[in-house]
Amino acid sequence: MADGWCTDTGESVYRSRDASAAYPFFHGVSDEFCFVIDVQYEVDLYQTESNCQTPLERQYHTEIMAMERSKRRQNQRIFTYTDFDRFSKWEEVTQSTPTFLAERMANVRHRRQERRPVESVVPKSRLITWEPSEEFIKNSHIINTPVQTMHIMGDLGPSGKLGLKENEYILCTIKADGNGVITIKPDFNNNRGAYRLETQGEKREVWRLYLENASSDIHAEEKEREQRMYRDLYTRHKDYLNSLVGQDFEMVRIIILIQTHFSAQGYEYDNLYVHFFLDLPNSNVPFHGLSGVTQTCRTSSVGKEDVAFFSYPFSFETFFHKEDESDGSLPQWPVLYFKVLSLDFWQRYRTEGYGFLVIPSTPGYHRMTCRTWRPLQSGTVAELRRFFIGGAPELEDISYVRVPGTFKGKRLSRFGFRTQTTGSVTFTLNCIQHARAFIDASTLKKRRQTVLDQLGGHSQQGSVYNVLEAFQRARNRMQEARETLPRDLINTSAQLNSESSA
Amino acid sequence: MAELHIIGQIIGATGFPQKSLFCKWGVHAGGAWRLLSGLKEGQTQVDIPQTGDMAYWSHPIDLHYTTKGLQGWPKLHLQVWHQDSFGRCQLYGYGYIHVPSSPGQHRLQCVTWRPLGSWQDQLAEMFVGGGPQLRSSDLIYSGADRYRLHTVGMGTVELELCVILRHFDRYGVES
Repeated sequence: MADGWCTDTGESVYRSRDASAAYPFFHGVSDEFCFVIDVQYEVDLYQTESNCQTPLERQYHTEIMAMERSKRRQNQRIFTYTDFDRFSKWEEVTQSTPTFLAERMANVRHRRQERRPVESVVPKSRLITWEPSEEFIKNSHIINTPVQTMHIMGDLGPSGKLGLKENEYILCTIKADGNGVITIKPDFNNNRGAYRLETQGEKREVWRLYLENASSDIHAEEKEREQRMYRDLYTRHKDYLNSLVGQDFEMVRIIILIQTHFSAQGYEYDNLYVHFFLDLPNSNVPFHGLSGVTQTCRTSSVGKEDVAFFSYPFSFETFFHKEDESDGSLPQWPVLYFKVLSLDFWQRYRTEGYGFLVIPSTPGYHRMTCRTWRPLQSGTVAELRRFFIGGAPELEDISYVRVPGTFKGKRLSRFGFRTQTTGSVTFTLNCIQHARAFIDASTLKKRRQTVLDQLGGHSQQGSVYNVLEAFQRARNRMQEARETLPRDLINTSAQLNSESSA
Repeated sequence: MAELHIIGQIIGATGFPQKSLFCKWGVHAGGAWRLLSGLKEGQTQVDIPQTGDMAYWSHPIDLHYTTKGLQGWPKLHLQVWHQDSFGRCQLYGYGYIHVPSSPGQHRLQCVTWRPLGSWQDQLAEMFVGGGPQLRSSDLIYSGADRYRLHTVGMGTVELELCVILRHFDRYGVES
């Protein structure tokens, strides 16, 4: 009796690359594992051809015949039961009092399940089975993948009395499913203690069981062939996709694409709607037709605030032209002006606030909140009017919110203009910038310029950049010239320097 | 041509007055866009949350678009419906959201709104259910003539979308 039995008989799971683990897996030698499947009982059974019913059994028959002819030494003691043999069903069904679930599982497992299609084709008609049959219920009740089971059995009877069913013990159970997952119970010993197997019967014997993974690695050339096949498959699929995609793309100078939607919160009255304009700088026509009005939305409470959600789609594409820019000024990004109004049940409408938003100059996803204000008139009459009848002073020129269009001087003064803060509007924007200049930058691997610099070719930023470039060029020239100088000249100058410092 | 992959899920909805909700969704893109693979519309299951407010659908979205231009960036439009114990379906909100244009993983909240009728309609709605619906669902994402609509904000639908862009930088698009 040795110490160090391995008492851990849990199962372990392996993954096989050979994912098409179909019926020929257990039969003979596969990529991953080597098995021997001869057994005395089977040999006797399959020798007579009339006993062979399924193609598998017929294959067994031919192999046995071949074996007989070659007079190979037969393995007497170790054999296997697989799913497809007739005995395994008897073996498993003769458990004592299976549970309800086990019963269902046993039946389900032995049934061959058809492979479900994995494409995205969804049947449009007859989605629901109104009267399922018993079999359908059994099949669909439990989620399972088709599993093939193989039991490696050992005939542990005394020599001379082989082939008796009482002496068969399960040494190892191997399960493989269609996804290439192999479960082995118990696991390979891997230098742990041996497994202990005790026989029942008159003579109780104790056997030591070692399980080793005796498979040889796949040949290098086969592996290479497999890799090449995968690579071919992927490149072919990629080419197919490329052919679908094509090569053309719209080319523009510079375009900024904005998509946004927004919500308004914190306002005094209900039933808000927003009227907005997109103002393009330096364009001849103000409010170039890019404006919109949302629907009137009643606020609902979210947390402590009353919020009105406008899922209003507006996406703008604007084109930038370099020529439109005057010298010496930075490029101006478009500005979105908006005003929030309320319209109530009695058709009174009031201005709730004005605000503006500068479209961000970096592409990507932005979420910004703009606070709004509304103009106030001094005295109580205006407020009373606003409360009872509706109507309030409005701005004539909405660009006054930021910088009035008519402003020409140097300092903007809004002295004397009285306002009151009202709520805020939250915008979520997706900005994309598309410019031909980006292509040149990336192909030449010169990512020093952003679109801002590109646009400011004539402007201050551009000139600063030009100066830096010129300096860089001059420095390079100086260094090249230095290298061509004779060595002693440089050395003497260095000595002079060191003398002077010393 | 450039390619856009949208991979994600409609996680669920929250903030609606009743609990038994389902969602009809669709992705709509402009003329320059072509769908290579994936389903561009669908309907989730009805979910009734046992605890908490959020109804979870976890409905997968997996789309592969190719495009010749930037106009008509894909938009996702949603309709949230409520199914009551009698089997009647009632509209609970329209919403739409742009597919984000920057690559990466985005967690988005799409807010929804529902059209309101007159006060008589609203009273009837309280007892019998129902309520006005848009005659053509294009209005969700077109935006024209919206100012005539009188609506009320409803809950939010949460989505998680991963956006992968391909070859956009080759054509000079920065996002």
